[in-house]
Amino acid sequence: MISIVLQQGINGIVIGSLYVLVALGLTLIYGVLVQINFAHADIVTLGAFAAYATTHFFGESYVVGIAAALIAGAALGWLVNATIFSPLRERGSELLPLIATIGVSIMLQNAMLALLGPIPYAFDTPYSNHVLRLGGLFLTVQNMLIIVVSSASIILLYGFMRFTFLGKALRAVAQDRETAGLLGINSNQLIMLTFVIASALAGMSGALLGPVLVLTPFAGTSVIVKAFAIVIIGGFGNIEGTIIAGLLVGFIESFTTQFLDPGLIDIVVFALLLLTLAVRPTGLIADKREENV
Amino acid sequence: MSETSHGADRRRLSGHSIVRSRHFRYLLAAAVIGLLPLVFTTSYWRTNLILCAINVMLAIGLDFVLGYAGQLNLGQSAFYGIGAYASTLLVTKLGIPFWAAFALGTVMAGAAGALLSLFAVRLRGHYLAIASLGFAVITYQILLNWISLTQGPLGIYAIPPPPPIALPWLPRIPFTNLANFFYLTASLALIVYFLLDQMLRSPIGETLAAIREDEISAASLGINAPKWKAFAFAASSAVAGAAGCFYAPFVGTLVPDAFFVTESFAILAMVIVGGMGTLIGPAFGAIFITLLPEVLRSIGDLRLILYGASVTLVVLFMPGGIMQAWRLVRQRLFFFAEESAT
Repeated sequence: MISIVLQQGINGIVIGSLYVLVALGLTLIYGVLVQINFAHADIVTLGAFAAYATTHFFGESYVVGIAAALIAGAALGWLVNATIFSPLRERGSELLPLIATIGVSIMLQNAMLALLGPIPYAFDTPYSNHVLRLGGLFLTVQNMLIIVVSSASIILLYGFMRFTFLGKALRAVAQDRETAGLLGINSNQLIMLTFVIASALAGMSGALLGPVLVLTPFAGTSVIVKAFAIVIIGGFGNIEGTIIAGLLVGFIESFTTQFLDPGLIDIVVFALLLLTLAVRPTGLIADKREENV
Repeated sequence: MSETSHGADRRRLSGHSIVRSRHFRYLLAAAVIGLLPLVFTTSYWRTNLILCAINVMLAIGLDFVLGYAGQLNLGQSAFYGIGAYASTLLVTKLGIPFWAAFALGTVMAGAAGALLSLFAVRLRGHYLAIASLGFAVITYQILLNWISLTQGPLGIYAIPPPPPIALPWLPRIPFTNLANFFYLTASLALIVYFLLDQMLRSPIGETLAAIREDEISAASLGINAPKWKAFAFAASSAVAGAAGCFYAPFVGTLVPDAFFVTESFAILAMVIVGGMGTLIGPAFGAIFITLLPEVLRSIGDLRLILYGASVTLVVLFMPGGIMQAWRLVRQRLFFFAEESAT
């Protein structure tokens, strides 16, 4: 029994840390722009396919595939900001960019569908079948890689936001764009930087999720819906809250699969979301951001 | 100024009074509905016409809460599904007559909308969007997993069409053929349109607009914002539920995938492409979005890419949608007409 709980705990950390990577991107963008990017889902999908193409077509190693996914994600993020969010920023509507990115998402999904077809791709990595035994527990090297890469990225991102000049400037833009501008911070460049970082994270998590997911052009949607729940549960724009909520959703997923029924995962996650919104709409970790509640 | 004198002023100002009157437009719409199945005689086109009528209901229903009350609701697919499943299960499992099931399904969807409005009271903007999205995901998963009730992904099959209507002095009207089914759904869509239009022209319309523009100022004028938000949500979701009640017997089968959250996005696209905040715009938007993939069928898979692109391009370049485009065209035309007259 203990070993089952520990084993599912590990599985929860694996899937949860991937959700954190995706959700952090959403929350970063929300932090500086107070906007939601629905096309974030398709950046995840694109990352997964970029890694698939690198490893299966060009025969490169999986690590190169992860790098390719990172670059592909960053490029798409740059494009989405340059074509959608940047031109719409002056209009000041919170609704229009959201709807525009829903359109982008439909467009990208169907473009990938036309190119790649609806049949799921079998994404094998050399590490998927390599199992490590730790006492009574099992851990594939793939899962180990996921934990290492995602926690390293999360720590790097956290350090970047906390301690570097650019990170501080980013937080300044998030807090008050006009005052940051008065202090000589170019908010447009920093918003673009945020998009590129957020989308690179999403692309990379796509490469790591690829072997776990049913890899179709619609794979990102199931991830992003949970990522939305995570950012709300954690508090939009709040990095610590997002990390905690992401791991929480990972645990919910693995333990619901073990003890209840896999079909109930989304119901439990979104019941928690609605409960959070009803009881504590600012998220698990309270922030000063209250304009939406 | 009262509504009548205002209308009279407008009529005096504009040259062609009959064309601009609302009664004339409703008569025109009724005439077009009457003629459409006579023009489009193939079952393929009649099927598309019925889909248009159902989608018009969904779009104007969403526009009521989104365009007028300003509440971003991404849960419309859930209310559509609740209406469809509730009415079908009441008919097939409990043997309740279709029209009673229709009324109950509509009421249940409306009640679910009022329930969701409890969140709308506390949340705004993106938070409400995600909360309503969460509601749609939960509803979809319940439809998918409550197998003893909904048969889950296997779906419900052989849903009977509505029973024939037997009015006095008229022949029985069966709904087994597509033309009559179209008349049924299109008349309902027209009635829903009329009811929403009447409501929006009454002080209710201004109340909702006040909440949309500035909730605090509205409250300072004595408007009970939570109550009116609940009303807008309930009305909007009841309309979606009513559309669902007709979707089920039209298609004949029900699977949860028809009510996935992407359906909410499709309904949102209809409202945006048509022109949010007008009633006629989303009605045309629904027809446009429904028929666009059919018209583009010859280009195969690219049609859905174009469908996504049209939403994005409308937001970027024509945020008022079809209505804004129409106003622009009309301005140019009138300008041209005045130029040539002088």
